[in-house]
Amino acid sequence: MSQDPAKKEQNTPEEATATGVESTVVGPKDDPADKPTTDNQRMHVEASPASEISDADEADSAEARAQLAAMSDPSIPVIEPAHDMTGVQIIDPVWVHSGYWGPLDENIHPAVVAIRSAFPGVVKEVTIFRDEVTIHVVAERLAEVALLLRDDDALAYSHVSDLTAVDMLGLRRSPRFDVVVTLYSVKHRKRLRLKAAVEEGQRCPTLTGVYKAAGWLERETYDMFGIIFDGHPDLRRMLLPEDWDEGHPLRKDYPIRGYKQYVQPGYENPAPRIREPRRP
Amino acid sequence: MSATELDIQQSYGTLDVEEERQLSESKRQLVLNMGPQHPSTHGVLRVVVTMEGETIVGSDPIIGYLHRGVEKIGETRRYSQFTPWTDRTDYVAAPQNNLGYILAVEKLVGITATERAQYWRVIMAELSRIASHLVWLGTHALDIGALSMSLFCFRERELILDIFEKFCGARLTTNMMEIGGFSRPIPPGLVEMVESFLKIFPEMQQEYVDLLSANPIWLARTRGVGVIEPQAALDYGLTGACLRGSGINYDIRKAQPYLIYDRIDFEVPIGTRGDVYDRYLVRMEEMRQSLRIIRQCLDQVPTDGPLMRHDSNYCIPPHDTVLRTAEDMQRHFVWVVKGFNAPKGEVYVAIEHSKGELGHYIVSDGSAVPYRLRIRTPDFVNLQVLPHMAQGSMLADMVALIGTIDIVLGSVDR
Repeated sequence: MSQDPAKKEQNTPEEATATGVESTVVGPKDDPADKPTTDNQRMHVEASPASEISDADEADSAEARAQLAAMSDPSIPVIEPAHDMTGVQIIDPVWVHSGYWGPLDENIHPAVVAIRSAFPGVVKEVTIFRDEVTIHVVAERLAEVALLLRDDDALAYSHVSDLTAVDMLGLRRSPRFDVVVTLYSVKHRKRLRLKAAVEEGQRCPTLTGVYKAAGWLERETYDMFGIIFDGHPDLRRMLLPEDWDEGHPLRKDYPIRGYKQYVQPGYENPAPRIREPRRP
Repeated sequence: MSATELDIQQSYGTLDVEEERQLSESKRQLVLNMGPQHPSTHGVLRVVVTMEGETIVGSDPIIGYLHRGVEKIGETRRYSQFTPWTDRTDYVAAPQNNLGYILAVEKLVGITATERAQYWRVIMAELSRIASHLVWLGTHALDIGALSMSLFCFRERELILDIFEKFCGARLTTNMMEIGGFSRPIPPGLVEMVESFLKIFPEMQQEYVDLLSANPIWLARTRGVGVIEPQAALDYGLTGACLRGSGINYDIRKAQPYLIYDRIDFEVPIGTRGDVYDRYLVRMEEMRQSLRIIRQCLDQVPTDGPLMRHDSNYCIPPHDTVLRTAEDMQRHFVWVVKGFNAPKGEVYVAIEHSKGELGHYIVSDGSAVPYRLRIRTPDFVNLQVLPHMAQGSMLADMVALIGTIDIVLGSVDR
């Protein structure tokens, strides 16, 4: 159960190593007297540059954790406390101990093991954040992976809870979209998230052959992001009108008010309405 | 023209005598538009129904008339600013929407509410579940023909809305929950109001049961209508009473307990036949179980203690200390003006809404606004099963089928 704190805080290994280097270089040991204790001092700390403080705290607590680990029994798992931005330690029993997401070691997680043995090379990465396991798979094999997860009796992910996408424009160069599938196993009470990275214009295989619930969810994803699902029986607009010609609104480059300026009929050139001052 | 060609030919608009004769002999299909402004569609749902005679052979629900782009709005608002928008997604069960969103944000930043606040959250969510079921029962029975049910149900719903008004000042769009708990104190007299509701409501519910459960008209309109087989219910991703009516035991309060549901003793009703009548029975029993949950919460909740976490800058400082201390006034100012930076990561938190599984999926890039905010509403996914249910049933059953899914179009269209 012991978790890597870097893995919990950051998603990608690059970022984790980057902050680790920073903390060793920048982080001078804080005087214990300087540590924020009251609310007043906490406010004061927040006004000063935040990066120094958090790095120093991180290095400090890492050392303390190492000491603790050396002293204590190695068989007892050490639970890493979460940090908020002020450095106040918050131990969150619900989110750390909730065992609903399966074993937190990716090498023994049954879904990862099953996919790796059935389709070698399909699992690109496994990330764990707040006990939620996300398996990044190759987009072309998404439907086969879902079929395997549904039909394997030890996994039995019978439910597709959610299917959506995230536009990663600005966060990474390529590929642009992440198709996110949240699966749930009614039998084993486990949740799992699949992610497939899709380039703009690339087709993603449909999951309608595996889960009928994916029909409308994929239609909505197509409507909002423009991702085309290959083999979908009825890929139309879902929430927007059928003749909508202004693109896909949940893309990050779509303006919040839309591309067109809508003018209410009769108000093309609204005359300034001046209200007469009320006289007694 | 051969008979097979006639079979697939569809008619629109006014029919001549020959077409009417073919229709009556079920040789020609009729395409009928239902809604979007129809009283039985619970809002602005449009269904294009294809019929052979009086039998439905296909239906295509068309939604989106109430689409407001809530997810896009969520990407431009700070975490604390988005809570009022969750009221508007499902406007008959606003506290449960608040709860789902707040739990997702709390999981993202890694904190939990105080124990007393958790009990009051459960009480408010269960009251809201009863209110939502009352709206469902009133409108559903009204569609089928029991007019007086809607009058009775809305009468009891007023009691719950009065409790909400006492608690947070609003009746419909409550916006009552905050990250870390509640920012306002429990008003005096609220516990007595909830107690009196617990005392009154079982008799009232017995009135509904007397009116409906053995009513021959109600039985004729609901039994054996709109049957969903267990495998189909799983395939279509149904949740809530639609899934449990088909005999599958999935209640998130039991399967993945959140808040303090693991300390509460309650049961999950399961249907056997999966028809409209079973889903009616399941929801009626859920209301009784909600009363049990509220009763136990009132017995267990600490009478004093903090309602809001005071040790984290993710939470708004409580109202009374903001007025008394300078530090909390500063924290309050920073919280409102700047917000807070959530850690990088992604969470999906599902709660048991009165209509099914309400999920919030938040992707954070480390800034003060969510990078992506996805709301998985239960009735959007549940509505998919309508063509499957309507296949082969009569047109008059269509209103019963729409009502039994328990949709709110603000939640479907988001």
